[in-house]
Amino acid sequence: MGHLGTGIGWRPEIADDIARLPDVDWVEVVAENLCPGRLPDPLERLLARGTTVVPHGVSLGLGGAERPDPAGLVALAELAEELDAPLVSEHIAFVRAGGPLTASPRLEAGHLLPVPRTRDALDVLCANVRIAQQVLPVPLALENIAAYLTWPGEELTEGRFLAELVERTGVRLLVDVANLHTNHVNRGEDPAAFLDEVPAWAIAYVHVAGGFEKDGLWHDSHAHPVTRPVLDVLAELCSRVTPPGVLLERDDDFPEAGGLAAELTAIRGVLHEAHRV
Amino acid sequence: MSEPPRRVPHGEEPDIDAARRRLAHAQTELLSALVAGGPTPDGFDPGRLLVQRRALVAKRADVVSKVAPEPADILAGDFRDLFFDYARTRPMTDSYRRDATDFVRHLLDAGRPRDAERRELLTAWWEERTTPRPAPGRTPVRLGRLVSALRTSRAAR
Repeated sequence: MGHLGTGIGWRPEIADDIARLPDVDWVEVVAENLCPGRLPDPLERLLARGTTVVPHGVSLGLGGAERPDPAGLVALAELAEELDAPLVSEHIAFVRAGGPLTASPRLEAGHLLPVPRTRDALDVLCANVRIAQQVLPVPLALENIAAYLTWPGEELTEGRFLAELVERTGVRLLVDVANLHTNHVNRGEDPAAFLDEVPAWAIAYVHVAGGFEKDGLWHDSHAHPVTRPVLDVLAELCSRVTPPGVLLERDDDFPEAGGLAAELTAIRGVLHEAHRV
Repeated sequence: MSEPPRRVPHGEEPDIDAARRRLAHAQTELLSALVAGGPTPDGFDPGRLLVQRRALVAKRADVVSKVAPEPADILAGDFRDLFFDYARTRPMTDSYRRDATDFVRHLLDAGRPRDAERRELLTAWWEERTTPRPAPGRTPVRLGRLVSALRTSRAAR
């Protein structure tokens, strides 16, 4: 898999800016937003330039109770091949429920929801990850999500949950430091304890994103500037390991190209600072 | 509750089916509370459930207004409240496009919004969207003109 460098989430709204930004080593695309065989022209041009493109899935729901949908897995596999991606990523989350296992109507969340950190949920997640790994042509990395909710009766910390997942499946980790900050504010969880518990070697890359705090809750909006506390979690991570890749995510309320460049520079600054110590 | 025995796929632990069923019930209970107006499951903080519920419906409204911008344009400042009201007990089960046409149908059946001009535009949009047509994906010329005219007149106010 190897080195990725510093990258940015590719979105159609900022395609021109990304093409002009200096030193963008790689990009990540939301897998569900692309049609295999009909990639957007600006993305084709990046590929032609040799920019690494990593597909990032949001709808498999590997933390859900059901086996992952084969069609969704095949689509992700085909996209990875078309992009010649070194890996693909998804989330540790559930996105739908109901259906045959409960004999009730299917419900779609439309977003990522936290799985309970229980033995049951870990067993199911591991089984689902193994199914996904059999279909995908490249390594899979899974991301820790941001949450407002805490399940009652949890049996493991998030770090322990992920460490066991890695141990049992060999899956890689996509560590989102903004989500660690979110869960610090919203659930009182310590990012440093998480980073102590997860195997550093398994980290494939890192997400960085902006958000805001309101009424004591952190909202991981991806529509606000990256704040110091999030960069501090990145620094904490970099003090333990040099991540193979770091990626800035911005989904809405896009700044000018200069604003994006400044955020990438701030991220690189944290990486360099960690190397110096 | 008894289920027919199922063959365990190669490589899966034999008791995983029981774990899947337990997890399915827990996740369905939570998701029903979040998107289908179901009761709050035991042990969850009701305040946080409310925050999560609002976040999900806000995201849904946002995506619906992106894949089908016309109803949001027509309803303008009333879109969010009307959509939130609609979505509170109506989970999404299909695509966002289908969600948009279902939402508009729900409004029209309830006689909302009150003003006839906007109801007429929504009716025209709903009919265009739910009638098979030769060139899918394009906003028909007549409706497009109506919406832009409405936008202009609102901006001029």
